[in-house]
Amino acid sequence: MKKIIMILTACLSLSLTAAEEGLVLPHDKLPKLSGDALTISMQRGLQVYTNNCLGCHGLSFQRYNRTAKDLEISDEAMLENIIFSDAKIGDLMTNTMREKSAANWFGTAPPDLSLIARSRGTDWLYNYMRAFYQDESRPYGMNNSVFKDVGMPHVLETMQGIQTKTDKVKGLENTIEMAKADIAATRKLLEEGSTAEGLSEKIEKAQESIHVAEEELKTLSAAGEYFSLVKEGKLSPEEFNQSMADLVHFLDYVAEPIKRERQRLGIWVLLFILGFGCVAYLLKKEYWKDIH
Amino acid sequence: MTKMAQLMQWVDERFPATKVWNEHIAEYYAPKNFNFWYFFGSLALLVLVNQILTGIWLTMNYTPSGEEAYRSVEFIMRDVDWGWLLRYMHSTGASAFFVVIYLHMFRGLIYGSFRKPRELVWLFGMIIFVLLMAEAFMGYLLPWGNMSYWGAQVIINLFSAVPYYGADITEWIRGDFIISGATLNRFFALHVVALPMALLLMVFLHLVALHKVGSNNPDGIEIKKYKDENGIPLDGIPFHPYYTVKDIVGVAGFLFIFCLIIFFAPEMNGFFLEPPNFTPADPLKTPAHIAPVWYFTPFYSVLRAVPDQQLGVIAMAASLIILFFLPWLDRSKVKSIRYKHWSFKLWLALFVVAFVILGYLGMKGPTPMRTLVAQIATVYYFAFFLLMPWWSRWGATKPVPERVTH
Repeated sequence: MKKIIMILTACLSLSLTAAEEGLVLPHDKLPKLSGDALTISMQRGLQVYTNNCLGCHGLSFQRYNRTAKDLEISDEAMLENIIFSDAKIGDLMTNTMREKSAANWFGTAPPDLSLIARSRGTDWLYNYMRAFYQDESRPYGMNNSVFKDVGMPHVLETMQGIQTKTDKVKGLENTIEMAKADIAATRKLLEEGSTAEGLSEKIEKAQESIHVAEEELKTLSAAGEYFSLVKEGKLSPEEFNQSMADLVHFLDYVAEPIKRERQRLGIWVLLFILGFGCVAYLLKKEYWKDIH
Repeated sequence: MTKMAQLMQWVDERFPATKVWNEHIAEYYAPKNFNFWYFFGSLALLVLVNQILTGIWLTMNYTPSGEEAYRSVEFIMRDVDWGWLLRYMHSTGASAFFVVIYLHMFRGLIYGSFRKPRELVWLFGMIIFVLLMAEAFMGYLLPWGNMSYWGAQVIINLFSAVPYYGADITEWIRGDFIISGATLNRFFALHVVALPMALLLMVFLHLVALHKVGSNNPDGIEIKKYKDENGIPLDGIPFHPYYTVKDIVGVAGFLFIFCLIIFFAPEMNGFFLEPPNFTPADPLKTPAHIAPVWYFTPFYSVLRAVPDQQLGVIAMAASLIILFFLPWLDRSKVKSIRYKHWSFKLWLALFVVAFVILGYLGMKGPTPMRTLVAQIATVYYFAFFLLMPWWSRWGATKPVPERVTH
């Protein structure tokens, strides 16, 4: 009986619901926008994208004129300010980079980003774009704390400047690494059949210290103290965050251009079904009134 | 005689139109005490029609080839008028189909609808369920996303567990040494032609068998026992108009939830459309965590719960096959949960818990603790059925009324 109770509690315990992936830092949420504010943000995002990203990352399922229509930009403005190549207004937003050469330059060809917001999620993108930091061990001298050892260079350096992990963050990450190594070593001892005392307590303690350090990292990240700037860019940190939010809102739009329209339409569809349901119910009541 | 009646007579002399209409709709007498659980039969039919119609229109713009499939789906989402709606109706419809079918089967379980004389109704229904799983699995490969690819990889590889011929069989299924355009094309053919035809045939047989024996009801008693002087069951009412108008209310309720998902959460938080499927199929990039779509996960959990791969595949197959035998496993004196011993409710409640736990664990990566829980749930799943001939006879049943309670 005791065993059954233990197992039942285990069903509900954290070990079943624990997060699949490790902690990703920074882990801020993309600021939510709606209505005109969102449209304007998407427009700015389009500008950031064409100026900085489109050269390498195509949006090969998305058309210029569809983008113009949905983001309330005139075709003329689109042709004048956004389309730099000889592309026509109805063309797909592709680029001319050859996949083979690209793979040569970066180790892997830069992916098409039409659907990146749906496969990665908007919060992930928002954090990723702001997570490049100085790391001399990497070929371009930069690494990314959200996507470790990413092949992409820090393209937005002129905008953001260069940031580095603070000493406090480095210290906490060291603590976590060491605790993880401790756990692995202790687990190995256990697997080898060691009966030495206090082994499982040791694991628990290490796990606890990881948990504490991660919580502290989250707090630092939330307070904007995960990175510190070593070289200033053209934008202030607030302006850069704003710009990245714009970019992600744009990518979110590109991933599913119909999203806002379907939500607008959905309200009417649901209202219709509600009305239809009421009529259907009254009809049913009328027919069934003599069934006893 | 009016012109219309004359025309009908002309038809009836050549084709039993009125006869069929009366036998199956207007003079098909259904028990008058159907409750909430009886909506799901007609809803299954509704979803089937939805899948077929949206499927036809999707096919008009979809290109079944390894090079073009992924692009053509995005073409449907962006450039085809209302293509996004067709696709979401189809993808949400797939999940809705399983929700409805699981609830339909659960109804059968609680009211004993599979018991004599409805064994064939249950068997045909089980064949539909298995066909539906094949249909859903093959349809899931068609968007040619990375989860489509790797999900298919995992499922097709199950067949390699067949002794000696395993490798040959998987190659025969794929039509290639790896999953490729050849696999995609044959899955497309099966998904849009072969399996839908088989499904329609089985649905037809399911209904013919049902209408031969008549519907069960929440009391689990036969309404044909008491008939009036015209041979009409006293507790029966014509399917049309009574249940057609009632089922439309169910349809409205269903459509509300269905459209709520389509218009506001078509990905259903990754349950209906999984995030890795928004990157194209890539034989060189395995997604971090491969999980089948939610409706397969209970059975997938059974597979993983067994440490040995070959035995795991057998266990998974057995977990499906055992359902076929349900009509002969239940030995209770009464059909409906209303009159069964309380122990039935306990066995059933635990079965639901085990099934949901298996489904949940099938979506998660394995840990030693999760595997242990899955093993316990798997053992219970089988115990529920295998021991049913024994436990279904436990305890006293409540007296069954002669006429339905309404």
